[in-house]
Amino acid sequence: MKIRLENISMKFGDLYAVRNISLSVAKGEYLTVLGPSGCGKTTLIKVISGIWKPTEGRVTVDGEDVTDIPMEDRDTGYVFQNIALFPNMTIMDNVGYSQRVKDTSSDEANRISKDHLELVKMFDRAGMFPSELSGGEQQKVAIARALASGSKMLMLDEPLSALDARVRVELRYELRRLVKKLGITVLHVTHDQEEAMSVSDRILLMRAGGIQEVGTPLNMYRNPGSIFAAYFIGETNLMECTVSGKTKTGKTTVRLRGGQVVRVSKSGFKAGDPVVISVRPENVYTANDGLGAEIIGAVFMGTYWKIRTLAETTDYIDYYVSSNDEVPKIGSKVHLVFNKKATKVFARPKEGLEEAIKLE
Amino acid sequence: MSVFEWINRISDDERSRKAWFSLVCLVFAVLVIIPSVFVILKMFTEWGIVSEVFGDPVTMSVITSALWNSFSIACIVTVIDVAVGIPMAWIMVRKQFKGKKYLDTLMDMPLAFPTAVLGISVVMFWGAPEGITIPGLGLIVSPYIMLILLHTIFTYPYMVRSLSAILEQIEPNYETAAMTLSASRFTAVRTITLPLFRAGLVTGTILCFARSLSETGGTLIALQMMGVGSLFFTGPTFIAYMKTEYGTDAAMGSMILISVLMIVLALILLVVVKVLIMRFRIPVKKVWPKFGRFVSRGAMPKLKDTVSVMFLAVVVLLPTFYIFTYLTQPMADIDFGALLYSTGISFLIAGVAVVFNMVFGIPVALYIARKRHTKSGKILDSLVNVPLIIPTTALGFSLALFWGSIYAGDSMGLLMVILGHIAFTFPLVVRNVTGAVEEVDISYEEVAMTLGAKPFQAFSKVLMPIIKSSVIAGAILAFTRSLGETGATVAISDSVETVPVYIMGLISANRYSEAAFCSIVLIAICFAFMLAVRIAVNRGGSRA
Repeated sequence: MKIRLENISMKFGDLYAVRNISLSVAKGEYLTVLGPSGCGKTTLIKVISGIWKPTEGRVTVDGEDVTDIPMEDRDTGYVFQNIALFPNMTIMDNVGYSQRVKDTSSDEANRISKDHLELVKMFDRAGMFPSELSGGEQQKVAIARALASGSKMLMLDEPLSALDARVRVELRYELRRLVKKLGITVLHVTHDQEEAMSVSDRILLMRAGGIQEVGTPLNMYRNPGSIFAAYFIGETNLMECTVSGKTKTGKTTVRLRGGQVVRVSKSGFKAGDPVVISVRPENVYTANDGLGAEIIGAVFMGTYWKIRTLAETTDYIDYYVSSNDEVPKIGSKVHLVFNKKATKVFARPKEGLEEAIKLE
Repeated sequence: MSVFEWINRISDDERSRKAWFSLVCLVFAVLVIIPSVFVILKMFTEWGIVSEVFGDPVTMSVITSALWNSFSIACIVTVIDVAVGIPMAWIMVRKQFKGKKYLDTLMDMPLAFPTAVLGISVVMFWGAPEGITIPGLGLIVSPYIMLILLHTIFTYPYMVRSLSAILEQIEPNYETAAMTLSASRFTAVRTITLPLFRAGLVTGTILCFARSLSETGGTLIALQMMGVGSLFFTGPTFIAYMKTEYGTDAAMGSMILISVLMIVLALILLVVVKVLIMRFRIPVKKVWPKFGRFVSRGAMPKLKDTVSVMFLAVVVLLPTFYIFTYLTQPMADIDFGALLYSTGISFLIAGVAVVFNMVFGIPVALYIARKRHTKSGKILDSLVNVPLIIPTTALGFSLALFWGSIYAGDSMGLLMVILGHIAFTFPLVVRNVTGAVEEVDISYEEVAMTLGAKPFQAFSKVLMPIIKSSVIAGAILAFTRSLGETGATVAISDSVETVPVYIMGLISANRYSEAAFCSIVLIAICFAFMLAVRIAVNRGGSRA
């Protein structure tokens, strides 16, 4: 189903939880809604599913305005963060619930329930009660329950955040495989950027009740449209600097805080503009010549080492070293160079860099 | 200071903790449990005079009709409370609106009024008793229906409170989840929330049922004002009537019989109710989507809320406050000396009972809360409920027999009345504290002890401040309950004149206006007292 939001706002008291959001989600698309806690992600999907009625704006599904339709008539699957399986019913009855309340015959309801339990490979637990299942199993049942209503759109409210790390990773691929097979439109709320990158067709990045950016995971990672996006998705080094000019090939050159001049990617900034550059740790290399820096820390991340340096510009700059390679000693000096193409330039925010990347 | 240090020091010793707990159990058994059910034993030793009553068809028919009245009224009242309590609990827990705080306070008002005062007020409102100048509605002339209306008032807060407490713990997401799965609100509540609701329903039912079964003062006054005091009986009023008309010795047989019957029937019925509610399954498989949608949409939910609020206003609050219309009348000639003396006696009894129950009830509550899964914890838990379920008049009569068999004579009347009040308020303190302790993670105390606190310090410095408000709520509940109690007092002693007994005496003498003004003064004193307690507690809280 195709979902369209037009200027949606949701106010609680005097506070906007969501402000003026317009968005289109294509049929069968897997969209993750990503953002820090309290940015309005959950509010957004609650509005789409009809649990809350927006203060302003319209929600349309397949061209039909559904804003005023109560949630029980929306036919939107919704999976809760705390799972919310009905504790007084068996797994079978939980999954068959939506059919039973529509007065489907008991046989038919059981058949649909069985089909969906098989879909998530949980039919062998049909007679159990939710409390007898592990967290991951419960969430699978909750997904089956949401799908069994026959709904073609599914809202997932941090469905994996309460689960163990490994179960979480396994279940997210399972989830994507399942909804793609059924051709369901999904809005998946998460604050885990890694989860968002690995399952979605598109990511909607939210901040403070508004849309920060929308795009495919790869594009958003490679070409973030804002300092916040660069900071929130993946890891990055941010440095305040000033544009010093342009090279013959059109690349911007910037002067770092210590006076060093480096070349970065193309941009429309003019000499003298205050800017911030963003370079991801994997695009920082050590060389014989370049920005002087002192190693101040090294953290083993499993497949690589994350090395923290204090550069002569007084910026902290991180880079990665493969776990097979030698780890530089704390206190030793290195020279750093950046991958020019992958170094992005942003206008320096008026409110200051700290404020621009603040999470709340 | 040195006393606390001493307690701290000995609390470290396993043996002294065991000794203290044994003492608590002994006190609980000897002062609370055994006297409460002593009358059952007495029935066997006095079988001769009890069996005489069986041979007297007139007395037997009065006893059976009194029992029937008591139990059927308690049943009807409980059913009404459940029916109107569920929607009201929903309003109190799930809805946010302006003035909710005030509604919350108003709801508890009937608990702050001595039932004797409620009795006057309710009959004035619904009936038109002779000798009262203020016009009433004059609608109710049947004592049976009048008692149902009266009992509904003081049981209603118990029901709404118990149901709200459970509803607050039920995840609201269940309902939302059901509704995203196409269930109407009605269907969602019926199939998901209500089945999860049973525990609250059991507590509420037991409290309401036991309270209605026990109530003496208000019932007695209502019946007297309607002029049927010697014609229409409930179990407790029958005991009180026999005692005042014939004296304990002459009426011993029938009093023992009805007390035992009330105790045994109450215990049996409550076990049955508990089993029924826990076994009974609300049919969750079958739904009626059209009907569900009809009652969940448009005007129906508003209508339901309006009816709930109207019920609270018209059936509970208006009759409760109707006695204040006396303020429009010329002031009656009150015997302030007698009123203040009896008020003083009442406060003394309530105060001693509450302090006693704090000292000996809190350890019991701690034990039940922390050892709920053990056998001894379960046994203690059920035993504590016994004085709650037994009608207080029967309890008082039983207690008087028990202590009377050890020490005869009425000179110890006051002490015995205090013991009686200790017995029936004991469960109220224990229940409240147990509920609160169960909410507190034991790791707080464990952390305190890893930091070097002695067990008593962990309790007094860590647990106690956390559960303070529930402890105080329990104390206030016990205090007001003791203040308003008539049945037990009358059954224990003829000479101890507490405030409800004093007001009842005025009613018997048809001095309505005086009784009403005394009631108003009494309510004013109670409110001033409770306000003072709250302020004192809040001050203490901000200092800590």
